[in-house]
Amino acid sequence: MAFRYKLEILALVTIIAFCIIFFYTNSTMNGADFTGTDTIVAAKISESAGSSERNISPLIPQWVPPSGEIESTLFALQAAAGGFLIGIVFGYWIGQKKQNS
Amino acid sequence: MDRKTRPGEYMHIMEGFLPWQWCLIWWLVALPCLIYGVYQLKKVLAADREALPLLGVTGGFIFLLSSLKLPNPVGTCSHPTGTGLSAICFGPWITAVICTIVLLFQSLMLAHGGLSTLGANIVSMGIVGPFVGYMVYRLLKDSTINIYLTVFLVTALADLSTYVITSFQLALGSIHPVSGDMGSAFIIYLGIFAIPQISIAILEGIVLSLVFKYIIVLKPEILIRLNIFSEEKVCTSRDET
Repeated sequence: MAFRYKLEILALVTIIAFCIIFFYTNSTMNGADFTGTDTIVAAKISESAGSSERNISPLIPQWVPPSGEIESTLFALQAAAGGFLIGIVFGYWIGQKKQNS
Repeated sequence: MDRKTRPGEYMHIMEGFLPWQWCLIWWLVALPCLIYGVYQLKKVLAADREALPLLGVTGGFIFLLSSLKLPNPVGTCSHPTGTGLSAICFGPWITAVICTIVLLFQSLMLAHGGLSTLGANIVSMGIVGPFVGYMVYRLLKDSTINIYLTVFLVTALADLSTYVITSFQLALGSIHPVSGDMGSAFIIYLGIFAIPQISIAILEGIVLSLVFKYIIVLKPEILIRLNIFSEEKVCTSRDET
């Protein structure tokens, strides 16, 4: 039988490589502040328009999370919803598989 | 208008950064696709109730992955899309419906992307990205290329093309052009959005093909029944790993 965990190993190696690249960039690159790519685009557009981002008014008024903490809570909520769905389905499938065999 | 600016506040195309004409155009492109997606979703679920768990797991990965902002080698952050799995299993139109739920949540609760630019964001993340992935899947589905490589290519390219399309949308018409002509604006946006995304797309592709392995191990019947991959191909992949 061939080695069964090729994909697992490959995924693990990729994740580790990804982390190493991150730590390397973080420690060697000056000015790497890991802001969102869209923040950079937003700044570029406002810069070329010759005004600050604050002056760009939304077309449709928008609720903005009052702090980074509230924002991260809501993001965690989104990830948790995804994780919940994934977990419940894999659990359901494992149960079905057990019952069938 | 009181508008706080913090690093990492924006994701997708930001509210107020597209003129209303373009917002309207992207909404008009997105709406028919969404309506068709809802129709297809009803049809798929009515035909086979066992499709619902598969929809849950593929949709779950869109929820999960699009909330993770990952660092890339040029020192910025962006998120994977996670739309590839759903594009393989259900096609781009149903994927667009799931993406709309995620994007609506992010624009209402997180101020990441706005309601006026939602149409444009649905087109990039929900329609064109998954559509590119779906085309790759259709091309490779019956070829000799194994399932895991197919899933890797589909998910990575769905992710990457989303960012290419976002660049294209901004180059076509944002509230203020960043460059004299559209071509060089497109290249500027590609440099910010798409090039750094390559490493994240590769990571997403590998992780999601691993996820697909577990779907094959646990529930191969559903993949065969929904005619996602041929029985022969599913069986060989199951024996391989």
